Amino acid sequence: MRWIATMVLACLAFSSCSSDKRTVLTVYSPHGKELLQFLETGFEKVNPTIDVQWIDMGSQEVLERIRAESVNSQADVWFGAPAEAFDRATKEKLLQPYKPTWAAAVDAEGREEGNHWYGTYLTPEVIAYNSDVVTAAEAPKDWDEVLDPKWKGKVLIRDPIASGTMRAIFGAIMARSMAQTGKPDAGYEWLRRLDVNTREYVLNPTILYQKLGRQEGVITLWDMPDIATLEQRFKIPVKYVIPSSGTPLLVDGIAIVRGSKHPAEAKLYYEYVTTPEAMLAAADKFLRIPARKDIPADKLPGWIQAAQKEIKPMPVDRAVMAAHLDEWMKYWDANIRNRGSKQ
Amino acid sequence: MGVSEESLVPAAARASAPRQSSRSRDAQRHTWLIAFPVIALLLWAVVYPNAAVVAGSFENGLGHWREFAASPADREALRTSLVISVASVFAALAIGVPLAFLLGRFEFPGRRVLRAVATLPAALPPLVGVIAFLFLYGESGVVTRALQRTLGMEEAPWRLKGVGAIVFVHAYTMYVYVFLFVSAGLERFDATLDEAASGLGAGMWQRLRRVTLPLLMPAVAGSMLLVFMNALGSFSAPYVFGGGLRVLSTQILASKTNGALGLAYVETTVLALSAVAGLILFRWLDRKRKFASTGKGGRTRRVIRSRRAQLAMSVLAAMVVIILVLPHLMVVLVSFARDGAWTTQVLPPEYTLENYRRLFSERELWKPIINSVSMAVVATAANVVVCFLAAYLIVFRKFTGRRLLELLLALPWAIPATAIALGLAATFNRNDPATLRILLVGTFWILPLAYFIRDTPLVASAVESSLRQMDPSLEDAARGLGGSWFLTMRRVIIPAARPGLVAGALLAAVTAVGEFVASVVLYTHANRPISLEILAQLRALAFGTAASYSVLLIVLVLLMTLAARSFEERLA
Repeated sequence: MRWIATMVLACLAFSSCSSDKRTVLTVYSPHGKELLQFLETGFEKVNPTIDVQWIDMGSQEVLERIRAESVNSQADVWFGAPAEAFDRATKEKLLQPYKPTWAAAVDAEGREEGNHWYGTYLTPEVIAYNSDVVTAAEAPKDWDEVLDPKWKGKVLIRDPIASGTMRAIFGAIMARSMAQTGKPDAGYEWLRRLDVNTREYVLNPTILYQKLGRQEGVITLWDMPDIATLEQRFKIPVKYVIPSSGTPLLVDGIAIVRGSKHPAEAKLYYEYVTTPEAMLAAADKFLRIPARKDIPADKLPGWIQAAQKEIKPMPVDRAVMAAHLDEWMKYWDANIRNRGSKQ
Repeated sequence: MGVSEESLVPAAARASAPRQSSRSRDAQRHTWLIAFPVIALLLWAVVYPNAAVVAGSFENGLGHWREFAASPADREALRTSLVISVASVFAALAIGVPLAFLLGRFEFPGRRVLRAVATLPAALPPLVGVIAFLFLYGESGVVTRALQRTLGMEEAPWRLKGVGAIVFVHAYTMYVYVFLFVSAGLERFDATLDEAASGLGAGMWQRLRRVTLPLLMPAVAGSMLLVFMNALGSFSAPYVFGGGLRVLSTQILASKTNGALGLAYVETTVLALSAVAGLILFRWLDRKRKFASTGKGGRTRRVIRSRRAQLAMSVLAAMVVIILVLPHLMVVLVSFARDGAWTTQVLPPEYTLENYRRLFSERELWKPIINSVSMAVVATAANVVVCFLAAYLIVFRKFTGRRLLELLLALPWAIPATAIALGLAATFNRNDPATLRILLVGTFWILPLAYFIRDTPLVASAVESSLRQMDPSLEDAARGLGGSWFLTMRRVIIPAARPGLVAGALLAAVTAVGEFVASVVLYTHANRPISLEILAQLRALAFGTAASYSVLLIVLVLLMTLAARSFEERLA
């Protein structure tokens, strides 16, 4: 008994004596360790009284966590998620409005009217392939080429139900169908043919990358910065193609969490990570395309300048998307998923 | 004794009536003085949150239930959950029973090694085990690729996904329950019965069918129930191998993520109800066959003498040992592999100490470890105190709330961890003294509370079985000789309960330190446990670092086991 009591006391004492007296600022973000650590170091140098603690998790997970913690908010800043997730959080009153000093530098697509969130990065969706197996000449050049029977059983898709990126791609395909024919049928047919080629719907990005790198499948649809990071940082042999007919350009945002216990510090961080310097550094080192329009084009790294010429933003009607996306995904889940492989 | 009541009580607690003790009014009052806080605490921590979930599922009448019934995805999830659970039970039986017989009945070279590793799968933390399987048997795993190369196949010989993959992992991790229960049954087994049957002319199969199996039935049924419960609530395996497969435990998380909290409550309720239904079914099966065996049993291991049989057995044993140890070895191997270098080769081509170096240079390395250990210690300490008092009451005191107390102690066992976590999140999310709610969500204390609830049945039944071996008149004797209640406790009862306390506390602490399922729902950055840190490393594609964290966790579990053993030996 005494032994256990001593252990308890020792552990409690150990865990409660935190090392410093700085204010802890908690950031929820899917942006990955490298970028977050880089920004943390820079920010703490300018603000020595603040200790940034970031938690790296998927954007849907952040949404769910913030919702669950809304009675006792743990996070101060939510840094990173597709606009769709932020819109939903705005509707559920989970965000604290804040108008950044650079508010005028983004266009209407890149912000919420009530200042609940602002765009930080633009994320183009791409077709990625394992470059050990597929040559650049063979790789699909456009969305429709992924449906070619030669890729049957070779496409890996991240489970779209829980993935903002995949929802955006599927939504864009469906919105294209609506725009061209006014009906969802062509879009469903497209997804059905993709299902025939799909080897597996993978549960999370990590396993997707691993399976792609190890050739369990050789083609996937994903976002450009992540694929480029895989290649450059993790030496996984993957390359990407920017679809020639156009690609959805996701707006990735930032927001202050409602009920944040350190609103003043949260604003400082918000401003710091969106300065032109931080944006350029993120572009340079972590392949993020800045959403701010006031950054001179010639200062941007060469690859962005080149990509911007290549990227043709796919016109996606956001109103149609917002109205129908849930319904499309539900239909896909019930009637299309895994049906193709059985044929 | 009602069916449902009795059926919720662990096997060890069943059947034996409360023993007589002094019945003065003073003693009655004394009993209630202890019983009231214990029962109140369990009602508040175990029943209340789950009742809140059930209530939440009816928040707009039958609306959420209709939604559930109308959703093909949910029907599929329920069906798949049940199929997986039943299949896991049979798979675990198919491995556990023969292994228990082999080790319990035969003597052959290699038996000791096999016995030593037979329970190893239980020491693999849930998430870690699943990842190890992915590296071993996944489409690009070591075993798969090796086989593919050897046979010169174009495609991988199998794919680790869907129901099959999940049942495979369950069979590996859960056969241990069957093995332990059946082994214990065989230990107690009276071999003379077998010999008598043989003397009466029964053949081997007849003896097995008519004597051995009926006598082992309680052990088999008990372990089947455990496997069923665990498989039903299992989260890590479907989470990683699911590939679009729907089961209830992951469906709950998906509903919650999509903001359909009402539906998540319905799914949670259905999952818990399935567990309770399973419990009742197994209890009923168990009761249909009840045989009492007298005698102490004994060691009746047949020595295998034929050279050829000896060799065959040793080869078989060696193979089983390898299969059992492989996942652990795989984790160790990956912890030394260079991330990203391993693509199409059978084994990782490059090795490095980098993962460990990174681990130890990490500023926050110790944080999750300190978190896990301190939360496990807090939870286990609470378990020890509460479960000891509860077991004491159940074994030595007769009072009106005894049945209720037994039920409360066994209840968390029937409720899947996801459901427990969801209940806690729904209940302790604000300070509201009127409804007995306190704000725990987002604080350190929510996880120790979850661990405490999950481990209560374990510790309680361990302590109970120790106390049942004590002669109850000893307590009266001590009191009669003028010992105060506290003195009696300290000098008579606690020493009697000690083996159970130590074993129960060890098991509880080991489970808590690697806990994943409830933690993933309830953790915050400040109290993130080791399992969540492993998940974070996996997310960051740092398989090597995740593996080295896992090795650390395995070492931690081993250290705890050794510490408990030496503690027990010093006292004994």
